[in-house]
Amino acid sequence: MEDKEEANNEPLDLVRLCIDEMVVVKLRGDRELKGRLHAYDSHCNLVLGDAEETIYVADDEDEDEPSRVRTITKKLEMLFVRGDSVVLIAPHAPIVH
Amino acid sequence: MQDMQNGDSPQEVNQVGDTEDPSKFLGDIIGAPVVVKLNSDIVFRGTLQSVDGYMNISLERCREVDHNNKVVRDYGEAFVRGNNVIYICLDDGSV
Amino acid sequence: MTTENVLPLELIDKCIGSPIWVIMNGGKEFAGRLLGFDDYVNMVLEDVTEIDPIGGDKKLPKILLNGNNVCMMVPGGDGVSTFDDEEK
Repeated sequence: MEDKEEANNEPLDLVRLCIDEMVVVKLRGDRELKGRLHAYDSHCNLVLGDAEETIYVADDEDEDEPSRVRTITKKLEMLFVRGDSVVLIAPHAPIVH
Repeated sequence: MQDMQNGDSPQEVNQVGDTEDPSKFLGDIIGAPVVVKLNSDIVFRGTLQSVDGYMNISLERCREVDHNNKVVRDYGEAFVRGNNVIYICLDDGSV
Repeated sequence: MTTENVLPLELIDKCIGSPIWVIMNGGKEFAGRLLGFDDYVNMVLEDVTEIDPIGGDKKLPKILLNGNNVCMMVPGGDGVSTFDDEEK
């Protein structure tokens, strides 16, 4: 594996380097996934295994108080993510080269 | 304003020397610190590693910041899907 | 002067080097000097003011603006409304 990416690489190369690694995926609608990246394509369709979905919900029943954020988490053994909802993909832990 | 016909070359007006099309700008700012703003008003700061034709971006030292530039999340390296991007701004420290 | 036959992108091309006001689909606005653009109307703008009625204005030195959400572009505009009676 390259120990340093060069500037002329394309952004999806970063995703390629995350294959079989744990990733954090930020999705539209204040959702987030952590899981092992099994596959991806150019649309950012993803297949994640051992995944955990986190949903951030603003708890603002009282307008005067600063709204607290509640989280809901779900465990998912295997899932497909449609690319159009993907905002960001990052390695969950630094990749050891 | 001078007369202009369909089919006239628009070139004559703008050869000022400071013309900079998007691909030149991107070439110039690879490796530089940038601010990336998304449609959802989320702002990321980081060092621009690469961009492709969809405006997909990879950032090094990618941090999500709030309206007061306070770091709310540190992602390290990150890929940002281009359809969410409103702008990429050169970060000269003034932003 | 013939204005009816100016192609849209020719008009924008004439604006290179000049101030331009860009209105996005979401209601966000940008005013700055146009340095260049491409076929998707992605634009490079300099000395930009990001106009956000809710979050407040913000100065940006130089940006690449994604053409995807561009709604309107106004040559010479600085984002100040000319429909307002208080303005000249």
